[in-house]
Amino acid sequence: MTDKTALLIVAHGSTVNPDSSAPTLAHAAEIRRRKIFREVSCAFWKEEPSLRDALFLFDPKSVREVYVVPNFISEGYFTQTVIPRELELNGRITKRPSGQIWKYCEPVGNHSLMTELLLKRAGEVAPGVNPAETSLLIVAHGTDLNENSAVAAKREAEKIRALGKFSEVLNVYMEEPPLISDWRKLTETRNVVVVPFFISDGLHSYEDIPRLIGIPAPAGVDRGGPGSTPPATAHGEVFRRNPHKIDNRSLFYAPSIGTDPGFADIIVEQAKS
Amino acid sequence: MQNPVERVLEAVPFCFGEVLVRKSGKSLLLCHRDEDAQDDLEMFQNPEDAIEIAKYDDAGNYRPLKTAPNLRHGWRMKLQSSAELKHALGHFYPGRLAVFFAWQRGELRTTSLRETLDRQSGMYRIAATISDAQIDDLVAGFCHSNGGCLRTILWKRDQHGTIASTKLPIQKFDPTLDQVQALGRTGSATGTTVPLLCQESCNLLVAACRKVVKGE
Ligand code: SF4
Repeated sequence: MTDKTALLIVAHGSTVNPDSSAPTLAHAAEIRRRKIFREVSCAFWKEEPSLRDALFLFDPKSVREVYVVPNFISEGYFTQTVIPRELELNGRITKRPSGQIWKYCEPVGNHSLMTELLLKRAGEVAPGVNPAETSLLIVAHGTDLNENSAVAAKREAEKIRALGKFSEVLNVYMEEPPLISDWRKLTETRNVVVVPFFISDGLHSYEDIPRLIGIPAPAGVDRGGPGSTPPATAHGEVFRRNPHKIDNRSLFYAPSIGTDPGFADIIVEQAKS
Repeated sequence: MQNPVERVLEAVPFCFGEVLVRKSGKSLLLCHRDEDAQDDLEMFQNPEDAIEIAKYDDAGNYRPLKTAPNLRHGWRMKLQSSAELKHALGHFYPGRLAVFFAWQRGELRTTSLRETLDRQSGMYRIAATISDAQIDDLVAGFCHSNGGCLRTILWKRDQHGTIASTKLPIQKFDPTLDQVQALGRTGSATGTTVPLLCQESCNLLVAACRKVVKGE
């Protein structure tokens, strides 16, 4: 990377979930600290700066190249339609009238380092637990029209299964089979580790998946619209009560994979590759 | 040669939306413009703290639009460099400083609301069927500086250059004016204002157009 190179991390963001953009902003701050790029910025579909604002974030006199890395779990509607359209990209490489070059990179979830990160997270959430006596469940949304996250989760589960470390490795979904709510039937081991395959924590990881698993829901949760107070679980209490004892099993529930600081490394790698 | 941030800093003190920036010795002090006279404010020194300050309003509600006139009170931030200031302001009003600099350089392009709506796909495609009269009313309420948004609107309603809404005061389109003062709100008034510019309608307005069309 040169001193005239900038990084733009693009994410979805949210008008209702205060935690949606937090991991992306944290990864940007970490990468900025490493001084690899002259500038590091974020842009969001649903928050500010918008994807349209991003067109003006980098002064063409000081920044000659912009690497655009989508902070998405998989290819899909956003990476293939929305981001190129809003950023006026014509493919992998776009040259602006100012001469500034924009390079469109692969989404973060596509990188091969994702497998290691999932393994690391599984180890951290269940320290001292023998993987050979443990099932690892990677949860994606499923039936999501906008992302192929189900396919990505399946691919990661296959790669981890091939390593032969865990007793079982399964890709499971919230809304299509194999269902996360069937985890008791799908697994046989005493220990079960569940890692949500999402970019950020939000209603799915704080409330929906715990409910589907059977972790008692914390009181006072407000599913809310814009302006509502954040859910009682907003600070990740559900991730600190591990292991959850359910039906004589020990279930270890991890925060969304996208909140892992290791994402910063993958974002940089996607820009380089 | 000075960079654009330093050039803006020459004008310290200045207001950027509801944030007041002034110098104190070698440091830069930021606070809510209503509260410069307060001495019991919670102190912050890290520009990254601006993310959390800007996230919720005084009542603890999430702020999906950072340029809405509801920045919370009760804080002061002490920074040591123009680089730190640039970061903090980038968190209080994400993207607005860069858009202002592009405007100063004569490089800012504006996009009419009709073009933005016509470009949408998926669930937002239907928003393009909104009528001119509906836009006139919606924008007047949605973007109004008094309760809606503090940005100065630079975009037009359509490619013929029609004003965004005939029902907004003319000050809403003038980047030389301070939108907070235009409201007649009291509080710290400084000579210089760096405007929060709106070169293209935001996603929230597009979503609001869709709601109007769907009668929600
Ligand atoms: S369209 Fe512009 S002025 Fe209107 S609410 Fe959105 S950001 Fe504010």
